[in-house]
Amino acid sequence: MSWDSFFWYALSAVLLWAAGAFFAWKEKKMGAYFCTLAGIAVFFAFILGMWISLERPPLRTMGETRLWYSFFLPVAGIIVYSRWRYKWILSFSTLLSFVFICVNLFKPEIHTKSLMPALQSPWFAPHVIVYMFSYALLGAATVMAVYMLIRKEKTTEREVNLTDNLVYVGLAFLTFGMLFGALWAKEAWGTYWAWDPKETWAAATWLCYLVYVHLRKAKPAEWRAACVLLLVCFVCLQICWWGINYLPSAQGLSIHTYNVK
Amino acid sequence: MWVKPWNMKEGFLIGGGLLFTGVLLQVVLGPIDWDLLAWPVNLVLLVLLLVAVGTLYALRRKAYAVGWMMHAGAAVPCLVYAASLTILMGLLPQVCVGGIPWLSQMLRFWPFVLIWTWMMLISALTALNHLLRWKVREIPFLLNHLGVVVAIVAATLGNADIQRLQLTAFTGEPEWRAADETGMVHEPGLAIELHKFTLEEYDDGTPRRFASDITVYTEDGQNVRGTVEVNKPLKVNGWKIYQYGYDVRYGAESPYSVFQLVRDPWIAWVYLGIFMMIAGALCLMLFMAPKPVKS
Repeated sequence: MSWDSFFWYALSAVLLWAAGAFFAWKEKKMGAYFCTLAGIAVFFAFILGMWISLERPPLRTMGETRLWYSFFLPVAGIIVYSRWRYKWILSFSTLLSFVFICVNLFKPEIHTKSLMPALQSPWFAPHVIVYMFSYALLGAATVMAVYMLIRKEKTTEREVNLTDNLVYVGLAFLTFGMLFGALWAKEAWGTYWAWDPKETWAAATWLCYLVYVHLRKAKPAEWRAACVLLLVCFVCLQICWWGINYLPSAQGLSIHTYNVK
Repeated sequence: MWVKPWNMKEGFLIGGGLLFTGVLLQVVLGPIDWDLLAWPVNLVLLVLLLVAVGTLYALRRKAYAVGWMMHAGAAVPCLVYAASLTILMGLLPQVCVGGIPWLSQMLRFWPFVLIWTWMMLISALTALNHLLRWKVREIPFLLNHLGVVVAIVAATLGNADIQRLQLTAFTGEPEWRAADETGMVHEPGLAIELHKFTLEEYDDGTPRRFASDITVYTEDGQNVRGTVEVNKPLKVNGWKIYQYGYDVRYGAESPYSVFQLVRDPWIAWVYLGIFMMIAGALCLMLFMAPKPVKS
């Protein structure tokens, strides 16, 4: 398996996801489940194939993490759909996943086999996969926030509740990612937390989502303020994930840069 | 404002007061010197913190503010300040010397540390409250709040006690001297003999694996044979031995291997806090929000 075959796998997966989204709109539950899960299986087959042919988990470069993000968005979508039956959620997850697939198609980054010794650890896969899943859930929460801010008075209790739950689970996974990273760092570098720019932004992002959780408890009626806050949280998340590569304060300082130059 | 019941406004004012106090301390005392916290100063501070939390908790019915500190309304402003300062730290270059006055050494900036201390105080009080009014369904809440306090307090107070030494061992010559960051030589109480250094590369020449086959001799007479490689440190007598470097001019033929020796007496407490937080997050994930929230 190589990136050359990515187009065909991605195309089949996106078509299946689009069919699932269509069935969800038409309120045909079984069709929505079947097509979405089939798309997820096709996409995962590509990830597995890459994993086997690279002889390492495809988690090192930005392109490889985007691969997981494209995978987890429909996964998060189908979980939300199964619990809350929003007929639009699968369209959204398909669209967002499609965007990330396009980025990988049009801006492919160098993907070599080599995995530097610092990344050869049992912590590598859980650390990154858990983070990507969390990013997908928190991305979904951000879309909910935008949706509610646009619809204003029409917002229902159920939507607020869904957003809270997306943040809770997303935050739980964000915490796992951060703490797995700390445990790994202790094994690799002898320090569990070094305030490396990536770590600083991970802490900032984590704190922002904690503000959301506590704000919802302190002022349950002010859901609009909470929605605006979610947008700020998501900006922090994006800076932590990739924005940091463009921040002057982080240039040449982060030990979290693994793209091949 | 200051009309009971207090909520977030009061918290923002208190946080503002802490920032102001922090700036005054920064002007008068200069940046925080974390090395001053070395044993036993950190133990004294820990006892003071525990006494403070206990005393505050005992006063919770008499002092209104203490009861308020245990509510989400007090947590929000504190977290907002902490998040803002951390974002500022992420936006501004962090350097050991120079840079932007005060803000380029955020970890030594009094307002930053005071806000985090306030956060720990709030979290510790909340945790204590839930510990004493034990309810099974509040265990996730307790794990999250107590876990974060244990991990961060242990990490902060223990930082000055961490010993980090570099030891360079040549093949076949046991070495017992190691240097700290300032270059001062120490004897960590063990010697390392390098048998063989290995460097494997990928086809494209990038390194695949660094490893050192060593024997560690300790003062109390142990001989530990093992391999140290990146991500696989060796633990001997409280020291963790990490593969750190080699002579890059010789590559695979390097005549020596450099090791980093790390000892952190507080690490068990940090791990305890981390595991409590992981368990707490696991509960958060499994049980989610139990009741619907009013919109």
